[in-house]
Amino acid sequence: MDNTRIIKKVLYLFVTAVFAGFIFAGSACQAKQEFIVGFDAEFPPYGYMDENGDYTGFDLDLAEEVCKRKGWSLVKRPIKWDFKDSELDSGSVSCLWNGFTMNGRESEYTWSTPYVDNSQVVITSSSSGINELKDLSGKILAVQADSSALAALEGENATDENKALAKSLKELQQVDDYNSAFMNLESGMVDAIAMDIGVASYQLSTKGDKFVMLDERLATEKYGIGFKSGNTGLRDEVQLTLFEMLKDGTFENIAEKWGLADSVCLSLEDTTYIDGSKVPAAGSQDNINSENNTGIKQEDETGTQDNSVVKAGVPKAKKSGIVQIIKQLSSGLAATVGIFVLTILFSMPLGLVIAAARMSKFKVIQWIAKIYISIMRGTPLMLQLIVVFFAPFYIFEVSTPYSYRFYAVIIGFSLNYAAYFAEIYRSGIQSIPQGQREAAQIMGYNRSQTFFRIIFPQMVKRVLPPVTNEVITLVKDTSLAFALSYAEMFTKAKQIAAAQTSLVPLFVAGVFYYIFNFIVAFIMERIEKRLDYYK
Amino acid sequence: MSVLEMNNIKKSFGSKVVLEDITLKVEKGEVVSIIGPSGSGKSTLLRCATFLERIDNGEISYIGKKIVNKGAVYPPKKELQQACANFGLVFQNFNLFPHFSVMRNIADAPIVIQKRDKEEVYRETRELLKKVGIEDKENAYPCELSGGQQQRVAIARALALNPQMLYFDEPTSALDPEITAEILRVLKSLAAEKMTMVIVTHEIDFARAVSDRVVFMDGGVIIEEGKPEDVIDNPENERTRAFLKKLHV
Repeated sequence: MDNTRIIKKVLYLFVTAVFAGFIFAGSACQAKQEFIVGFDAEFPPYGYMDENGDYTGFDLDLAEEVCKRKGWSLVKRPIKWDFKDSELDSGSVSCLWNGFTMNGRESEYTWSTPYVDNSQVVITSSSSGINELKDLSGKILAVQADSSALAALEGENATDENKALAKSLKELQQVDDYNSAFMNLESGMVDAIAMDIGVASYQLSTKGDKFVMLDERLATEKYGIGFKSGNTGLRDEVQLTLFEMLKDGTFENIAEKWGLADSVCLSLEDTTYIDGSKVPAAGSQDNINSENNTGIKQEDETGTQDNSVVKAGVPKAKKSGIVQIIKQLSSGLAATVGIFVLTILFSMPLGLVIAAARMSKFKVIQWIAKIYISIMRGTPLMLQLIVVFFAPFYIFEVSTPYSYRFYAVIIGFSLNYAAYFAEIYRSGIQSIPQGQREAAQIMGYNRSQTFFRIIFPQMVKRVLPPVTNEVITLVKDTSLAFALSYAEMFTKAKQIAAAQTSLVPLFVAGVFYYIFNFIVAFIMERIEKRLDYYK
Repeated sequence: MSVLEMNNIKKSFGSKVVLEDITLKVEKGEVVSIIGPSGSGKSTLLRCATFLERIDNGEISYIGKKIVNKGAVYPPKKELQQACANFGLVFQNFNLFPHFSVMRNIADAPIVIQKRDKEEVYRETRELLKKVGIEDKENAYPCELSGGQQQRVAIARALALNPQMLYFDEPTSALDPEITAEILRVLKSLAAEKMTMVIVTHEIDFARAVSDRVVFMDGGVIIEEGKPEDVIDNPENERTRAFLKKLHV
């Protein structure tokens, strides 16, 4: 086989990839003002993925309408809820708008006025024998991590009753999303779930009468739109637009559509923000008084009549067939393949550089490479992804553009895998007998000729089995990109699973990963066979 | 003019002195065998002469040109690399490149390093293969060849770069006795063409058959040297006699 041709091919691919990167970056620059809504895509009916794979929900519909009126372009940005503060601080989202409880977080964000009255309720299976809160004593209760239900039970501002309740539990089990909470409940691994009433109603509507909601409330609370602390300008613009929508009935219509007409509480009379400041008046025709208020009410009624068709209530999660699921996962699969290919393309050559540094004559360079490898192999990849994503903001105070999420995934994976490849290469290079180098030296090959003509091709053959291992691991590791809410296959599968309250999408994703790896293993085997012409 | 001239070579590994004040000259067309017990320093001497090891003291010249100056002063890397063109080395275990075919093992360096015309190199390579008796193996890979065949490829590979002299490190140690005879024939034909050769070996019969001069080394010094019939059959030195006696038993 001609080695120079292989090297040329690799270089060609590399350069192409870099150019592709530039094009990505270029297309990310947009002139229109972006309004980026951060939401948890596993939180129906406020924000989730519908059966067509589109993000939808009550809050997103509201945001859509606000953007339409303001001439902004809406970016629906699903985020990992645990990282919502970092996402907001780093400017990668404009606001958190996703059934976001104000209570207990009053001073942490700049809030809109409350628009949904929500309560924390407890769901249990109909046969559990749990009828009131005190029956939960000695039971396992599930809550979403960093959720208001958790805050209501254990937070700083939790009531004494709730704190006592939390203590009486056998365990307070934190879960990632409500879909898995329900699966836990269904399978008997937890006894009850504490959650927002809106989400609970949605889930109950799809689960039939297997579950019941306790009448008692853990807490009553309100939803608002959270902006970065101090960002009152944007908050006011959104607030005034919401008031406009309330006045002409659009707000009520949207609430009707999502079955939340009984829960919404946005009021034109409520003109004082939670931080004590006033909602500014928006032009002369918009002065807020009781006379205007009645006018709004009339409009409300007409709006409701107009919308009698939509009045079907909460759109039921349609259980889509396998074909539909596969279709939706396909877009995620493309992202997964993208992460995989780019990571291989960058980490493999980078690994060679690190291996060279690791074997350098210079002690300093050697040690830098050693420490690098030690950190990359000694800490979780998921943590590294998070660090790469948030470092520009927290360390360098640079707010990152939309496209950075994708780059962070590629950079994180490439840096991590390069460390593993470096060690594999090093062992491969060191396993080649010294005699090969000596023969080359006497024949007059210089250092780089010796490496690229004599050592490298032999190394490739030797490292192929461990490299295959790494490559196959990478296929599965791409799912870790969900930590940055990058829409790869696993993230999508979880979102679909949440929207459909079913495990099937996750299994389908599993099959996809298996097939992907089957192909990868097949290709690697072919390469190994092709290099079998010598021993 | 001497092809190789080594003066007052000293070499130690740590505190262990391996070569102690060795002086060796090899004339054009001469075939010199270096014999001696294992650990005598003969292989190290060969590695120092081919710049695989650095000497601690002394000087080395090729074709009258000082390469390593008095006091073991080495030239810059590039110059040292160029000096390697003076000689070829056939390794004990051949060190053929396993991923190259026989043709490529031999032709790669002339084409890549000497930048010679490909077709011309291929033609010459085929002639060399004929000369060492394996003209039908040009497309084979080293792993498909026997030890003796690999040895011939290694010799052809060294010859392809047109060196002034050839070194052989234990050329027969990895081979069956009957194949040794064939290698001896190859070496003799090279000697007939006045190729200068230095052969490190422990096989006395082989040394006697091929060399003009035999150098006996022990304990890092040259004990005795001269015509094979003198050194091997009529040694003056007690240590030489003891070594030869042990071998003959």
